Amino acid sequence: MLEVIKPGLETSVQDYPGRIGFWNQGFPPSGPMDSWSFRLANVLVGNEPGAAALECQFVGPTLKVQRDGVIAVTGADMQPKLDDQPVAMWESIAVRAGQTLALSFAKVGARAYIGIAGGIATTPWLGSRSTFHKAGVGGMDGHALKAGQAVPVGEAAGKPGRRVKESARPPIATDKRWTIEAVPGPNDDWIDEAGHERFLSTDWKLSSKSDRTGFRLEGPDWTFTEKAHNKTPEHGAEPSNIIDQGYPLGAINLAGQTPIILVNDGPSMGGFINPYTVPLCAFWKLGQSKPGDVYNFKAVDVDEAQAISARIRDLCTETSIE
Amino acid sequence: MAEEVMTETPGNMWKVLVKPGDEVQAGETLFIMEVMKTEVPHAATSGGTVKAVHVTEGQEGVDAGIVAVEIE
Amino acid sequence: MIYEEPRFLPGGDRYVLIEFGNEMNLELNFTAQGLADAIEQNRIGWVVETAPCFASMLVHYDPQQIRFADLKKEMMSLIGSLGPSEEIELDSRLFYLPAVYLDPWTKEAVDDYRAKIKEKPWDPEFVAELNGLSDVQQFARVHSGTEYWVASLGFWPGLPFMMPLDPRCRLTAPKYNPPRTWTPQGTIGMGGMSTAIYPVATPGGYQIFARTPVPIWDDKQRFPVFSESIVLFRPGDRVKFIPIGVEEFEYLEKTVADGTYPYNLVEYQRFSVRNYKRWIETLDPNQRF
Repeated sequence: MLEVIKPGLETSVQDYPGRIGFWNQGFPPSGPMDSWSFRLANVLVGNEPGAAALECQFVGPTLKVQRDGVIAVTGADMQPKLDDQPVAMWESIAVRAGQTLALSFAKVGARAYIGIAGGIATTPWLGSRSTFHKAGVGGMDGHALKAGQAVPVGEAAGKPGRRVKESARPPIATDKRWTIEAVPGPNDDWIDEAGHERFLSTDWKLSSKSDRTGFRLEGPDWTFTEKAHNKTPEHGAEPSNIIDQGYPLGAINLAGQTPIILVNDGPSMGGFINPYTVPLCAFWKLGQSKPGDVYNFKAVDVDEAQAISARIRDLCTETSIE
Repeated sequence: MAEEVMTETPGNMWKVLVKPGDEVQAGETLFIMEVMKTEVPHAATSGGTVKAVHVTEGQEGVDAGIVAVEIE
Repeated sequence: MIYEEPRFLPGGDRYVLIEFGNEMNLELNFTAQGLADAIEQNRIGWVVETAPCFASMLVHYDPQQIRFADLKKEMMSLIGSLGPSEEIELDSRLFYLPAVYLDPWTKEAVDDYRAKIKEKPWDPEFVAELNGLSDVQQFARVHSGTEYWVASLGFWPGLPFMMPLDPRCRLTAPKYNPPRTWTPQGTIGMGGMSTAIYPVATPGGYQIFARTPVPIWDDKQRFPVFSESIVLFRPGDRVKFIPIGVEEFEYLEKTVADGTYPYNLVEYQRFSVRNYKRWIETLDPNQRF
């Protein structure tokens, strides 16, 4: 069991792939934004890659260990310390009852993951332990960790001293610039040629008005094809309005002229077009970026995107451990 | 005792509550940052006089780990 | 327009949006829901989940079990086996929901918007005039005079988007611009041609004019109807609003608070698209209640 001494900015229980099967009732999957780092934290401590673990955002928590066990910290470097002594990232570490694990803030990257042997053992809700704080479900009482809480942990041994090979870790950008894969569609035929070119050549800036619901981008206006201007009135008045439709996870949703990437806790449907969709294989980049970072989008097709996903999935296994 | 108060998160500088010359006490909030729609107050750990303020209210895209306020 | 052949639009690496047409037409939603039902009945292993919407359906598939190139072929064959939309039949629950029309709580929210954000006419007056109705009483009569078909859920978990089944009760209204920052929980509103119920107090853009005391969202699962989920509705449900007064609202609010409110749910009917289409052909769509 882990006692929350300091909760950090927003630390929550997540599992992978999250809460699946309730999209048609409006429940997003939630789950970790950087599932690459997340899964490796679990593999390090001997859990299934999708077991419940903690996602730490920007400023990490301070936790008191109540039982001997094994933990691992992956993702953004939040300078983890055990009883004030620095411990390594990307390595499984033995912890003893009474010790304190403290994570600071990330200078590079944005999200860190704490895996613990046995996994976080909160009560699953609709099949998942992932936290969806907007609706107050999952995780610890439906919300991010609060000081004083006791986070339950499952029973399992784990082995310390295991390490993720450097080549298997996600290459978190140090220059605040990211190339993000984007698959054209579903509504790419609503944007004209100039609009597509502009989208793919612009330095989009990640707005600070971004969170796990949506990543808002700042940049130039979009321009549209005939389809967007000549449509039946029930679509809505703006060129980016469409008859309400289901939103894929990762959709770059054009609310008026503001593109918002719909991420893990985002809405499942609405009345705006999605000219491009960020494939799930690129979500780790979103998860590790900070407000002010620059995105350049690269068009990829479905097969390419799926191949990248498969490569990452293969890396989140024992083969990456030394 | 001299102190450098650093930003603990990236984000916007939502409020800057002190200027050079102000007397501050231990625990007093010096500035409040905003990230992911959450406020992150930053306080002085020790008391003293504000020597320099390197951030401005409303400043966007501030990095984590920079020296925001100096106290002597 | 209803497309001759549905369009398959990729949504990243795990989703495909199947577009059946580009108009608000109940038939397109029946097709979407019929397909969702067929996928479930046939236990299609490579479909992770589906989400029908007004004229489309989002499919979340497993790329480890099917290639995107093969997905369209498989789906088209399943759609073909559905036959014309007339053949579609779906189990459909019916909820009777008490609601105060022209209520004081939504009026307060509108007044707040007018004071703080932008001037606008009171929503029921606005919608009544826009639709050529004689007054707000007629608007309440027309809006409550039909069963509503739950076409889809989303924007917020459990928030139903519904269409009037009786063509004599079709109304239209634009959304707020800019949207409201809050809406009372249980508010009933309209945007475009669809009616929605707000499960909790969220921001919103629909024209608002009624309120129900009955929870459509229950995270403590206090009532038996929520035994499988904290969300009341599923696509394919129907809702009939029963106009009540403020006094009865307050009484029902108490029974909700003490957990004794008995949900009025009818669960033996099967919705037949053929029968539905036959019925609406007998109606004069220009007639108003």
